[in-house]
Amino acid sequence: MITAIAWKNVWRNKTRSLIVIAAVTIGVFAGIFSMAAINSSVVQRIDAAVNEELAHIQVNNKEFRSSADIQNIIRDYPGVVSALESTPGVTKVTGRIIVRGIATTATKSSGVEITGIDVGKEKEMFTLSKKLIPGTGSFFETNTKFNTVFIGEKLAKELNIIRYILTPEALTSLKEKGIPPEIVSKIEVLQGQRFTSDKKFVKAYEKLLAPGEIQKYGWKIREAAWSYREGSKIILSFLDINNNQTGAAFRVCGIFRTNNDMFESLSLFVPIDELRQLTGMEEGSFHRVIARLENNDITNSMTPKIREKLPDYEVLNWKEIQPDLAMITDFINQIYAVFMVLILAALAFGIVNTMLMAVLERTRELGMLMAIGMNRRKIFIMIMLESIFLSIVGGFAGMAVSEAAISITGKTGINLMKYSEGMEAMGYSAHLFPTIDVQFFITTTILIVLTGIVSAIYPARKALKLNPVEALRGE
Amino acid sequence: MAVVEINNVFKSYHDTEVEVKAINGVTLSFEKGDFAVIVGPSGSGKTTLLNLVGGLDQPTGGEILIAGHRLSELKPSELIDFRMDHVGFVFQSYNLIPVLTAAENVGFIMNLQKWPKEKRMTRTNELLTSVGLADRHKSRPSQLSGGQQQRIAVARALATHPEFILADEPTANLDSKSAESLLDIMEKLNHEEGMTFIFSTHDVRVMKRAHRVITLEDGKIVSDDVRK
Repeated sequence: MITAIAWKNVWRNKTRSLIVIAAVTIGVFAGIFSMAAINSSVVQRIDAAVNEELAHIQVNNKEFRSSADIQNIIRDYPGVVSALESTPGVTKVTGRIIVRGIATTATKSSGVEITGIDVGKEKEMFTLSKKLIPGTGSFFETNTKFNTVFIGEKLAKELNIIRYILTPEALTSLKEKGIPPEIVSKIEVLQGQRFTSDKKFVKAYEKLLAPGEIQKYGWKIREAAWSYREGSKIILSFLDINNNQTGAAFRVCGIFRTNNDMFESLSLFVPIDELRQLTGMEEGSFHRVIARLENNDITNSMTPKIREKLPDYEVLNWKEIQPDLAMITDFINQIYAVFMVLILAALAFGIVNTMLMAVLERTRELGMLMAIGMNRRKIFIMIMLESIFLSIVGGFAGMAVSEAAISITGKTGINLMKYSEGMEAMGYSAHLFPTIDVQFFITTTILIVLTGIVSAIYPARKALKLNPVEALRGE
Repeated sequence: MAVVEINNVFKSYHDTEVEVKAINGVTLSFEKGDFAVIVGPSGSGKTTLLNLVGGLDQPTGGEILIAGHRLSELKPSELIDFRMDHVGFVFQSYNLIPVLTAAENVGFIMNLQKWPKEKRMTRTNELLTSVGLADRHKSRPSQLSGGQQQRIAVARALATHPEFILADEPTANLDSKSAESLLDIMEKLNHEEGMTFIFSTHDVRVMKRAHRVITLEDGKIVSDDVRK
């Protein structure tokens, strides 16, 4: 009965209760949704790191990472592979040859890390092949007698492989994408001009458009003008197994685009046999063995087991290779804590205020309840329940709104292209797909209910201190 | 047998430096079946006396016994239960619970006493019928007139068969028709069920119907007229 009365009391002053509930809803939504957006950025970054760059576990010759010497190979590759494959939780294993060198085109050069890969296995284990920019070729499926290389967009730009040309087709495609004809006609003067970098191209169209137009359409204009000649040639120079300078011409078979500028500008991939032949490395020799696990969550528990099996090698998981990624997860948890403290503090003030008003308004009624035999414990519980109901209703409404918003934006994404340059320089996608754990929702619910309970204590104690005689007089 | 015994009771308040004697040595008893009114000018101590008898306030001297229990011997928590079990209250401004229906208001104390649902509903219907509001059982207080609300308050007070009912100015906010109708009901309950009523009032209509009129002045009894 106390529960029923408390629930009905919540709706006595509908406007006031709805304002508090709306405040709680907005607070919870703001907290959860922004956390989901931040979290998605981190989850996407970690997924990209694991799926495109690092794998879960890397096994190296103990000296390899510090020296980067081509001779620091894994001596017993079959033994390492077999140790990994026999470990429960490991799903796939492959070997890589890694050399550092210089990539050169007719006009530019850049320091790179050249990775020789088993194309078939890499395609199974990683998603990098899916990051191919449409129209730039394939992931080593070109039938050519030349050596082939798969490079990142950033490196392609640095090596001047990518041009920006507003062709008549590009201008038509812009119109088809819904760019207003007056914008297209403004940039038509650039038609046919060749720009060797995006900076030069941006500078050119910025002179023709207003700032608002640049902000709104700039990205689409750059996309349309992006141009690449398939099969561009680059020269890769590096040291062979005897530390002699060597190198060869490679044809770009495809260009990939990730959200990590650093990875895109440093890493390029070639078939392992081509690199083995050029470096003179023996058949069966590798610098690195990489392994994928069933999922990210078992990384920490699996690492020591693998390390125990391979004491002569350096065994590292992705968190150890890129500690910044592990750190960012902790950082996110700290942001969550700060966010929640702020939201819950606002919620607590709202509830204390509302419940105090409710107690003061109902002094006479509370006096009557005490007079006719409702004991203090029941009055305390009633006030507490009213507060808990307010916070639960607001909390659940906030969570429902958050869930709806997360599920919609989780599919459509949130476009932060305006900040893409900065975000991608740090390896984060500018297109966020908010996502959040169920555990987060549960924790949030518990915290909201606890806040409701804690913030009701003061008003409830105030009610307990009422003297029935004075309260009945309405004092 | 005396339902209420008031033995040389005093109640003083300290209003700043001055001691105000609200009740000044009252000795009085009420028998089962009394239909008594306490009258007197404002500030004479009527409501204070009712609060003391109802265990809402503690005397500064003397003692009050209800059905043989010394109120001064009860702890505050026991006093709340004692009030619930032995005393029915009817207040001047009805004081129903606004979020509950008429039937829920009547059943409220039974609910606090954890009566089984069936028994509670039977008693609620019986009481609503006796106050002539069986057809308004689903109405909220805001949907009832003042007179109807006060009849619901009487039904609530009677619900758990208290020893007596304390009614503080029960007709003060009612029009004459509603007041007469309420008094009819109370009188009937007094006649038929032997329920003891102790009123404090200024209302002549209540005084006319009372079997006993106690007049208080400055916290002292100046007359106690029994009209039976």
